[in-house]
Order: sequence, then structure tokens, then C-alpha cells
Amino acid sequence: MPASGSSSSLELVLTLPSPRELSDTDLSPYDAICLGNTYCRRVEGNFAEDLGLLPDAVATLHAAGKKAYVTSPAAPRGHDMAQVKRLIDAAASAGADALEVHNMGVLRVLREKGIPLPAHMGAFANVYTHLSAKVMRDYGAVRVRPNAEVSLEEMAVIARDAGVEVEVLAHGKIPLGITEKCFLLEGPEGEDPKCPSACREEHWLTAGNPGESRARSGAGAWVLKNVGKGVLSGKDMCVIEHLPRILSEGFRIFRVEGLYESAAYRSEVGAVYREAFALASSGGEYALRPEWGRTLTKHSRNGFCNGYYFGGSGQSYVGTVLQGGNSQV
Amino acid sequence: MAELLASGGTVEMARVVLDNGADAVYVGAKGWSRRRAQYEMDDEEVIASARYAQSLGKILRVAFNTLPSSGEVPLLLAKAERFVGEGIRDFILTDVGAMRALAERFPGVQIHASIGCTIVNAEDARFYKEAGATQVVTECRMDREEMRKIRQEVGVGVEVLVHATTCYTYLGRCTMSSYTRQEWRFDEEGKNHFLGSPNRGGLCYRVCLTEWDQRGEDGSVEAGRVVLPNLAYFLVDDIPGLIDLGVTTIKIQGREYSVPLVGNMVRFYRDLIDSYLRDRSSFRMEAWKERMAGIVSARDAERREKTASLISESGLSAQH
Repeated sequence: MPASGSSSSLELVLTLPSPRELSDTDLSPYDAICLGNTYCRRVEGNFAEDLGLLPDAVATLHAAGKKAYVTSPAAPRGHDMAQVKRLIDAAASAGADALEVHNMGVLRVLREKGIPLPAHMGAFANVYTHLSAKVMRDYGAVRVRPNAEVSLEEMAVIARDAGVEVEVLAHGKIPLGITEKCFLLEGPEGEDPKCPSACREEHWLTAGNPGESRARSGAGAWVLKNVGKGVLSGKDMCVIEHLPRILSEGFRIFRVEGLYESAAYRSEVGAVYREAFALASSGGEYALRPEWGRTLTKHSRNGFCNGYYFGGSGQSYVGTVLQGGNSQV
Repeated sequence: MAELLASGGTVEMARVVLDNGADAVYVGAKGWSRRRAQYEMDDEEVIASARYAQSLGKILRVAFNTLPSSGEVPLLLAKAERFVGEGIRDFILTDVGAMRALAERFPGVQIHASIGCTIVNAEDARFYKEAGATQVVTECRMDREEMRKIRQEVGVGVEVLVHATTCYTYLGRCTMSSYTRQEWRFDEEGKNHFLGSPNRGGLCYRVCLTEWDQRGEDGSVEAGRVVLPNLAYFLVDDIPGLIDLGVTTIKIQGREYSVPLVGNMVRFYRDLIDSYLRDRSSFRMEAWKERMAGIVSARDAERREKTASLISESGLSAQH
């Protein structure tokens, strides 16, 4: 069985929060779209919150021959669960192909509803072992995206032994944390005039002196992206150099993180990967095309990383081409 | 009556907290808990501490609450088998697959779903109950109504941390530390200690507590020397309410603190709880707050020193 499960055809998934991104992005490189923002319910036009938007969005994607998934809140409190139940019903009645689930309570509510809407476990579901994936499978999960810390080798074990598909983050910011309060607001959500516009702008956190800290420990400077109720990696996860190996291990489902990125980022990164997958799947010699490197670099403000996949620090980069073998760029 | 659970970072600390009034002590099996190895115990130390607890009619609970590799679960079950053979019946776990495996292998053991499970709603608690948990640690900011639902409607034990840290992120769902620095290090039993990952190996570099700049799209500094909110707390005011609510366990974290400080903390909470239970109607918190001030001050001093050391180890600059 291939590592990604029973399906052997390649699937490139993109995350899109709202109708604005759905219309401004070239979706042609993608096979599936995951609709909605898992970090914050208040994001403008959030498909996971403004449920009236779902039927049209799902129908549009289906008409274009694409799968439509809908995400759910990563850390819903008890008072959020009524909305979660409405979300599940709305996603099912809109004909969504799966619900992305990060929280075990949400998974349980989905199972209790007994509707034929499969679950895809998201990045915050903390899937680290095949045994956990099996428990989630018993609740209706057919796909898991292991936690960012899980290496490619460990993911292959999960895919082999859990009987679920495994999704691999191919490119984009790594989700590193979720917070209860919005860091970009001073007042309460809903009262602060900066909500919901503050997270439409870019905010970066930087710390440490690169030269100094590198000399001391090799860890390099810290750059993160703060999106209000989520912390993302400052660097872009990038596996383009490693596609032949990843495909040879059987992985077939890949995600490009499109949240909090530009339309050009989503459109052009997807196009690069679509071409790269075609070349890597062709069986011929695989080498990065210079134009791919130029496009990815253009959209990468703080360099690339992929360290978790190889058992190291998340921010480090394993590779020889894109950063000249320099893991600290 | 609510159980007072305290930390046993060393054999000495385990003994001191039990002697100072804890009903139960939790210890980390080496490589398997949410602290680095120096605050964990090898098997012989766990067993010796368990015997001491048993001799007092008290409980020792073993933390296996890291998120392991699939291939490491047999190591966990083998270690648990040895402990069960020594009369240990109480465990703390995070990985829901390992939890179910342990519950099936050793029927009747008590399993606490760890703080790393990030249980934020009652349905979460139901899920972990179905996986074998007999008690759940509630997320640090959970409100009383949700705790009540878990206790009464879900029907599992509720464990509340009254002295801990409110991380900037949801604890158990954060990989900021390992993003900054992580190394795979295997011990002689073959367990990877995943150094730098609090979820997997216990060591957190607390990189959130470094001093950083917030920059906008053009790179200009929007706010300088900003600190992400991450506070250590004492929920002393909440204790009477938590007892009235019927919480099962009141937990004090602190394996990385000094033994005298942890001993003082345990004695303080023991006396406070006993005083409240003796006469709820005339209980007054003011005097306890005065006594607590000294403990808070000592705790904060130790924490500051520890945080600076961890951030420095991560390669980042600590706060000035």
C-alpha cells in the first residue's frame, strides 16, 4: 500500500480562508481546497464561520473538478460547540468532501452526528503515532496530517500501520502554535476597532542577533509570523528538493499553506509544485529548474526550512540547491 | 475530597512533598515526561519512590506524557508492565493511541489525560474517557461551567493545575521551541529524548520569553522589546470554589524548582485546603495571601533564572 493510503493519484491541497482568496487565486494547480480559517472565528469572510458561503464555494470547486474540504476551529471552548455543530451540518449539506478536524471534541461531535462526512485530522490534532491515528480512524478519520514535529520516516510508519491517508505539508508557513487571545488587539475581540482588519496585515516577530547567536549555538535568529491567534514559522517549509524521495516513499497528498499569504504566492507556488511533481513522477532525472527556485525565493521573505522532516530543528534546512546547502539562511 | 498532587522531580522531592501533605506525587519516567531527564527518574528511583508513597497509604503516579514515535510505544508498555508489577496503578499520558493501548493491556489502571492533551471542552473529555482516561487535566484557562460539565455530565475526574504557567500558546499545541532548536538523542533503552520539544521530550527552551521586535510588512519596527504573555500563576483564590465544585485533583507543578521551595508550596496548599475544609463558612483568604507572597517571590526568582538559562541554551538572547 502506498504511504498516503489507498489512493495513488497525487493530490495538491491549498488552504483558503474566505471568498476573497477563492476568487483572487489561480486554482488550476490544485486538486482540492480546504476552506476556512482554523485559528480565529472572527476572520473576515471565514468559510468556517459564515456558513451561508459554503454551498456556493463547494459547488464552484466541484464544478471545477476539485475536492472541497472545510476546516473547523482548532481549539473551541464549550461555548463554541454550538457553532461547531452548525458548521458540521452546513459542510455536510453543502456537499463538502471532508471536514478538517484539529480538536478531539469536534471529532467526537462529528461521529455522534452519524453523517457521511469523513474527517481529515489537521495539523493541530497532534497525530504523532499510528496508534493515535487508528483511534481517530475509529471516529471517522480517513486522513491525518501529523504534527509538524513528526519526521518523514515516522510519517511513513503512520501511513503504513494506521490505515489512513497521510498528508504532507509541502510548502508554506508551519503552524507552530495557537493562542486563546489575539495578540494584535489591545481590547476584547469584537470591541477593538482593529478586529478583524489587524490580521490582514503582515506582522513578524524577530529576536536574537543572527551573527551572535549563530556563533554561540548555531541556532540562528528567530523569525516568526504572528497572525493574531496563531504563530507560524517565519521561514517557508519547502520540500521541492526532496520530491523524488517523498514520492518514492508513497506519499501522494500534499498541502500548500495559503493562509495569510498573497494571491501571487498561492498561485505561483502551486504552479511550481505542479510542474515539479510532474517531473518527479516522470521517472526521469529530477533537477530543480532555475525558474522554480527564483519563484519560490521571490515569495520567501525569510528563507526556507524543512528540518523537522529530517529529525532536526524545524527552522533548519536540509538540501543542497535552494540555499546553497546553508541551513541558516 | 480533592486530592493534592505535587511534583517529584527527584527521589528527595517526592519524599518531601509527601511528607509535607501531598496525597499523591507524580514523577516522570526517564525520557517519557514533559521535563528534561534531570527532573525525571530511572526505573529504580520510580519504584523506590512508589514504595515510600505506598508505605504512607499515598499514591505515586508515573508520567508517560510525551508524544512518542510509533516504534517507541512497545518500550512504554514494557516499562509500564514493570511498574504495574511493582504495584503502581496510576499513569499520566498524552498520546491517545498509547493511552488506549495501556488501558487495554492493564485493565483497571488509572489513567490521567495530561495537560498536553489540551482539553478545552467537555467533548474533548468524553473522547479521552472513551480512550481509557479516568481523569482529565483541564486546560489552564477553562471556566468553571465546563469543569462542572466534565465532572458531572461526562463523569471523569477533573484535575486542575493551581500552580503552573499559562503559556502564550495553548500548552500541548506549541512547537515554537523545537522549531528553534531540536536534537534527536537516544538513551540506552532506545528512547529518543527529542531535545527541544516539550511535547515529545519535555525540554522547552521557552523561546516565547525572549525579547523580540514586532515588525510590519516593510520591516519597520511596530513595537520593540515586546514580551509574549506567559505568566506563572497561583490560583489561590480559586481553591475554595474548585473544592466546592468537586474537582478530583488539585495539582502543583514544579519539578524544576528547588526541593525546599516545592516543599513550602505543598505545605501552604495543604494547610489552606485543610483550613477551608474544616470550616468553609468562616474561611478568609486574606491571611493566606500574605503567606503566599513569600512563596511567589521565591518561585519567581527561581523561574527567572531558569528561563534565562534555557533561552540562552536555545541560542536566542534572553530578556535584559
